[in-house]
Amino acid sequence: MSENQDDKLARLLRSRRTEAASPDLAARIILQAQSLPQVQNISLWQAVRQLFAEFHLPKPGYVFAGALVLGMVVGFSTAPENVQSSDASSSTAQSYIAGDEGLL
Amino acid sequence: MPAAWPEKDDHELLALIQDGSGQAFGVLVERHTERFYRLAFRYLQNKAAAEDVVQDAFLKLWENPANWQPERNSKFTTWFYRVVVNLCLDHRKRKGPVALDEDLPLIDDRAPVDEMMMRAQEQRILEREIAALPERQRSALNLCFDEGLTNQEAAEVMGLNLKALQSLIMRAKTTLKERIKNCL
Repeated sequence: MSENQDDKLARLLRSRRTEAASPDLAARIILQAQSLPQVQNISLWQAVRQLFAEFHLPKPGYVFAGALVLGMVVGFSTAPENVQSSDASSSTAQSYIAGDEGLL
Repeated sequence: MPAAWPEKDDHELLALIQDGSGQAFGVLVERHTERFYRLAFRYLQNKAAAEDVVQDAFLKLWENPANWQPERNSKFTTWFYRVVVNLCLDHRKRKGPVALDEDLPLIDDRAPVDEMMMRAQEQRILEREIAALPERQRSALNLCFDEGLTNQEAAEVMGLNLKALQSLIMRAKTTLKERIKNCL
């Protein structure tokens, strides 16, 4: 008897009916998704690459920027010598002027 | 859509969705909408609500495909059952317990009329008693009997071990047998 009850209950549970979904449900979901942007989870490395991509320059730009940097490096490395020589020439001129003033 | 797309398995489609492929998403939705709708309907007993829940679940997947992590989930359907069940439970918390739809077509129209009437009556009583079961027992029945999941798969969906799931099914069946003994 108990066996029969189990079988019948299992049959009833398996024969439960469902109201059918709208035939266009899948199409509605797909259409709705087209208007939604995806959230992309990106890694740190990808984020850094994207950041650099924002500052992307064409090749002549790199040449120009490289020339500027090179010019600044050369300029800074040679500046102290120029300053010394200009100091030396200005002190010579000053002593010359002071000599003239002494004569007066 | 390339002819080979429908032959791609769920994991391949999900990898493509993670790369932003709307076509892969379309194939996945077409493949599984009916199945997840059926599950949602069992929980909510309302067509519009069930359709909304299934739509929400798929749109969440589209918006944030990284939620699916193949290394952490064995099967897409097992994971997505859990997503749909959780959305159904949230929906029920917000809207309160469901009222059984009197217009629900419970009758198998291939059977003779008196048999149809009897089956309809049996099914109505069964639905009422299933609706009165505790939430977890109802979930276990829905997953194992309606969706045809194995006990192990149903246990995974519900986050239980196998023994706990078997115990839930046993208790649910005992309660139902007691309550609908006149129909059995």
